[in-house]
Amino acid sequence: MFELICNVFLFVFLGYTYFTHVLEAKVPKSYLKNPNVLHPSVWPKAIIILLLICIAINIVKIIKKNKGNPDFTFKAFGKNSLEFLKSRMFIGMVVLVVASFILEPLGFVVTAALLMFAYGMLLGEKKWWRLAIVACVLAVLLHIAFSGLLGVSLPRGTVPFLRSFSLFLENLF
Amino acid sequence: MNLGEMFVSGLSAVWGGGTMFLMVVVAIVLGTIFGALPGVSATMAVALGLTFTYTMGPVPAIVFLTAIYCSSITGGSITAILFKIPGVPSSAPTTFDGYPMAQRGEAGKALGVALLASAVGGLFSALVMFLLATPLSKAALAFGNGDMFAITFLGLSILIVLDTEHILTTIISGLLGLLLACIGQDPMAGVARLTFGQTSLLSGMEMIPVLIGLFAVTEVLKQTNTKKRLSAEDGVGNKGKVNTKMPTMKELWSIKFTLLRCSIVGTVVGILPGAGATIASFMCYTMENKLSKYPEKFGTGIIDGIAASEASNNAATGGAMVPLLCLGIPGGNAAAVMASALALKGVQMGPRLLNVQPEFLSATFITMIVTNILMVIVAIGIAKVFAQILAVPYYYLGPIILLLATIGSFSEGNIVGVSVMVIAGIVGIIVKYMHLNSAAIVLGLVLGGMCEKYFSQAFQKAHIVTAQMGFGDYAAKVFESLFGSPISAIVMTACILLLLSPIYMPFVKKITGKNKPAA
Repeated sequence: MFELICNVFLFVFLGYTYFTHVLEAKVPKSYLKNPNVLHPSVWPKAIIILLLICIAINIVKIIKKNKGNPDFTFKAFGKNSLEFLKSRMFIGMVVLVVASFILEPLGFVVTAALLMFAYGMLLGEKKWWRLAIVACVLAVLLHIAFSGLLGVSLPRGTVPFLRSFSLFLENLF
Repeated sequence: MNLGEMFVSGLSAVWGGGTMFLMVVVAIVLGTIFGALPGVSATMAVALGLTFTYTMGPVPAIVFLTAIYCSSITGGSITAILFKIPGVPSSAPTTFDGYPMAQRGEAGKALGVALLASAVGGLFSALVMFLLATPLSKAALAFGNGDMFAITFLGLSILIVLDTEHILTTIISGLLGLLLACIGQDPMAGVARLTFGQTSLLSGMEMIPVLIGLFAVTEVLKQTNTKKRLSAEDGVGNKGKVNTKMPTMKELWSIKFTLLRCSIVGTVVGILPGAGATIASFMCYTMENKLSKYPEKFGTGIIDGIAASEASNNAATGGAMVPLLCLGIPGGNAAAVMASALALKGVQMGPRLLNVQPEFLSATFITMIVTNILMVIVAIGIAKVFAQILAVPYYYLGPIILLLATIGSFSEGNIVGVSVMVIAGIVGIIVKYMHLNSAAIVLGLVLGGMCEKYFSQAFQKAHIVTAQMGFGDYAAKVFESLFGSPISAIVMTACILLLLSPIYMPFVKKITGKNKPAA
């Protein structure tokens, strides 16, 4: 059912995109005067049309394939969705999204340590203190290695003392 | 630049006063470790390797990434033999004979054959690349825009046909990739398309974070639901201690034709856009099984099976570099990541590379040779300690991959890159549940820009010109753009035949099946 819902969503989204967002600015008149040039909307519109056809066929195929399947109902989908929301994979996704949000204000060192700790726990490490030490040491080492030694810019954070700490690490070597 | 000059230029680039040589060794170690880690594919290894190249110049970057690319394929054989877990998908056939040998206490011999076969395949393909690069680049200079479009399109068409069980979803995936490539400003008129009002999308999709997200983050997310610890198999009870005794000369001589055949086939498969090391290794394993005098022994632990798989998958890496550097068309996922990385460094991949930046071509060639030789020594060392390294559980390995992926996505100095990586990782999971093909999405994304540019230019140059074009004129102009020259006509016809093969092949099989005499 998830596959079907995704396909239907994609179909509707592409249909909406076709009519509203293929071109988001006016094409210069000077460009359109030349009859030899390809209009900027032709290529994406052609792809969207082909996609709509293929997705429509795929939707029919999915429905035909699952005819009579007891799991192919909205009720079963709701149950599976609840299970997915409790799964470690979903929590992993949430951890990643949170990490991407805190990266700018807290900087790489703190985000990396928190990400490593949270994901390590999620993956089954039971000795949290060991994981916490490894996460902190690794985050600092990676920051020193990439930012300090290799010259790769990493976010220092906007919180003053965290920013100062990142700068301190970068200037160690 | 002739072949001799290319050779010397490549040697000086790779030696680089010793610093560059040391960097190659570091890249081989990293590549072998990345390749050997289960769940880290060659593509992911190159994507993670990118993190280290942001501050490098173009030549060191190409040398570093090439070394990682080649060695990661070889590294995959270590876990395939010791743990029955292919480090990279292309090493899957290595498990068929490698693991049974390890169980018999012949892990050392199996590893030795795998490493030597990898080196032979890699060296062969490097040589082919060296010999083919110049003539192919010269020939490609004569290609028109229509021809280049046709060749680029062939890459997508081949990919679709290779996954015959999921043709429709692969087509959808390829088209989605092409559509994603349209995001941003149109290449001809500079008009914003498909940005949904986001100014950060005006310059197009950020390729590197998307690739890192789709390959590295998605894989870690997939592994989140599994818990496993690995232990090496040496068959004699010495868990964690691996002897890397080399095979004898007599044994090597017995597989000489296997090595030769699989190196040739692997290189050819690698050159084909869309096909890659995984297809090469499966194809060669099956081929050797059919050609063998003792096919019943395949899968029971014989060196022929390991040699077939490893020679071909490494040969395919060199093969994939030919279309990437000479035509600007990546031969597979890992090559697509390389293409994005090299484009960032200002490398103009394609037929003009030989004239404008020949040092890149020669550096790649020499790196492949040096890597394939050094790799044998380095990989033996790594194999010896790998049993201990792999005791590192995934709850440390997974987060480390995520941290490297974050660094790689941020390295362009844009925090949006990290968000794009996370979104791409989650999309990768949805793609999996929708049974779409992420490889096709990536190839569509990488080739999309080129496809549109070449098609637009071919369309512009087509002869039919009318002030007010009707549908018929328009169609005729499109036809001329696609079939205007002999090369584009042949390649486009091949593409159409390939794309329509799922429709007509069942009929062909039915007819040929009926014509066969009854047994």
